[in-house]
Amino acid sequence: MVQPRLVWFIALKDLKLFSRDRAALFFFILFPFLFVVLFNFILSDIGGEDDRLVFHLVTLEEETETALSHQIIAAMVTPDESSLRPGEPLIIEVDDYDELRRQVEEKELGGFLAFPEDFTESLFTYREAEIEVVADPEAVSYRAALYGLADGISSWIGAEYVVRGTITELAGEQAQDILESLEGQVITGEPLIGYTSDNTAGEVEAEQPSNYTISGYLVMFVFFAAALSAQAIVRERQNHTLERLLASSVRRSTLIGGIFTGTAAKGLIQIIIFWTVGILVFNVDLGLAPAAVIILSFLMVIVSAAFGVMLATLVKTDRGADSLATLAALIMAPLGGCWWPLFIAPQWMQSLAKVTPHGWANEGFNKLMLFGADFADVAPAMLALVVFTIIFGSIAIWRFRTAAA
Amino acid sequence: MMPVDYLVAQDLHKSFNEHKAVNGVSFTIHKREIFGLLGPNGAGKTTTIRMLSTVLEPDQGDVIIGGHLIRREAEEVRNLIGVCPQELALYVELGALDNLIFFGRMAGMSSQEAREQAMAHLKLVGLEERAKGKIDKFSGGMKRRVNLAVALMGHPELLFLDEPTVGIDPQSRNNIYETIEGLRDKGMTILHTTHYMEEADRLCDRVAIMDGGQVIALDTPHALKAQIGSPDQVTLEDVFLKMTGRSLRD
Repeated sequence: MVQPRLVWFIALKDLKLFSRDRAALFFFILFPFLFVVLFNFILSDIGGEDDRLVFHLVTLEEETETALSHQIIAAMVTPDESSLRPGEPLIIEVDDYDELRRQVEEKELGGFLAFPEDFTESLFTYREAEIEVVADPEAVSYRAALYGLADGISSWIGAEYVVRGTITELAGEQAQDILESLEGQVITGEPLIGYTSDNTAGEVEAEQPSNYTISGYLVMFVFFAAALSAQAIVRERQNHTLERLLASSVRRSTLIGGIFTGTAAKGLIQIIIFWTVGILVFNVDLGLAPAAVIILSFLMVIVSAAFGVMLATLVKTDRGADSLATLAALIMAPLGGCWWPLFIAPQWMQSLAKVTPHGWANEGFNKLMLFGADFADVAPAMLALVVFTIIFGSIAIWRFRTAAA
Repeated sequence: MMPVDYLVAQDLHKSFNEHKAVNGVSFTIHKREIFGLLGPNGAGKTTTIRMLSTVLEPDQGDVIIGGHLIRREAEEVRNLIGVCPQELALYVELGALDNLIFFGRMAGMSSQEAREQAMAHLKLVGLEERAKGKIDKFSGGMKRRVNLAVALMGHPELLFLDEPTVGIDPQSRNNIYETIEGLRDKGMTILHTTHYMEEADRLCDRVAIMDGGQVIALDTPHALKAQIGSPDQVTLEDVFLKMTGRSLRD
């Protein structure tokens, strides 16, 4: 049975030791930011022209002078691809809905946006108009980007209607004249529904490398620090404090619990510092669901602490703990997308990343911070981290029991 | 007055792989006694202390401490004992006071109680002025005294001292002797292992000499010396060498 108070005291002691270890503080708190600065520079071109997102828009409406969907698409399509800045998406209009649908079904295309044939009529009769998002269910990131685009369009249309309603309310009899003058603008080719990629598709940009370098190195260094905490139990043994603790009513399970809690607390400190500095200094954008980023970070800390405790039960010497922790960190970090974003890696590498908790954590962070995903989109990643925690924890408990026996 | 048995070790055995470290050790320690456990390196002293202090489980045999069987009531036993291991069992990156408070809290004390006891014990070993000093800045003798002070947290009834004076200067050693005698005078029962025969002669009421995992002699220092000559003319070291031989053990 675990003794909660003693677990907490052991964790506090480990934190105190950590705070007195200047080398550890430098290595796990400051050093990662040197990587972030360096890789921000190196990876600043990711999301450039070669990696540009392409959105396909199609409308089923007949092309008339008042057909709004045609005006929206006309306003949004990229007139000249060569003028696009790095990270800006390419938007193209396609005529054949069925062909696009076939491409999505055969996984040749991640998805597209379609305006239904009654789109304008629905809007003008104050019924709900829908923009259809057709997406490959497996292309979660791309689907999230399409939702972002659709949200942007509907926001603009919504704002347009608010303007019209306000004019009608305030201007009374003159409202009709004003509205007619506005209609004129649309008809004469100066669309009221404007579009800029920065605003409506901001979530799909990849212009800030810090959005994936910070999260990548956060994952790497939190895991690395946790793995090195495997040394803690070895040091207790080597310092003979383990003998003293075991002779003073402290159960082995309490000791393991204390090391786990201390490691998790160190991880929490790391993520608080990382995100705070990331937001304030590197202008990191936590995306549309910051709460999901926080929960994912927390789960990542828990799984890394479980990993550290598992390692602690597997090693017998300080050097063994050190070597295994370093080896695990150096293999799992690049494999799991900590050194470069997974979405620029080949598909086989993205699949391989799923064997590491790093891969799931990074995929979740990338979806949330780069592709405008919401909580539901990263639920599988969160679940995967919980499963990894259970696996690592189970191995630790099994090893702990067999070692104690 | 008949002495009261505080610790009874009965036929203890412990093996590591094929090596029998302790092979049928039995003895009793009376309440308020300093009991010496002597023996050459590898005699089984430390393994015996680890079994008595509940850190190692005996392969065979049992121990009763303060009326509690350690196999069944290890928790109760742990509340009665303090352990000063042979090695420095301290967090050297922390201060002396921090170490004592931490182990005090591990023994179930409140924060204030742990602090008060820690200061009292540091004063006892002459380190109250260095309470906040980091252990890794301390001399060997100071570290040994902190090691002993930690073992006193919780006011144990039975104290295990495993070579508490090894490798320190005469002043620190003398301080530890006086501390141990003072503790005995206050009613503590102490099991003391040492390689220094004059130390055992000065401090111990009775001594057991171990060799090859067994107790080969047990009596008062005076009686042991009397076995080989006049107690005023022979030393405990003479007794030790006669009983354990002169061959090197390491």
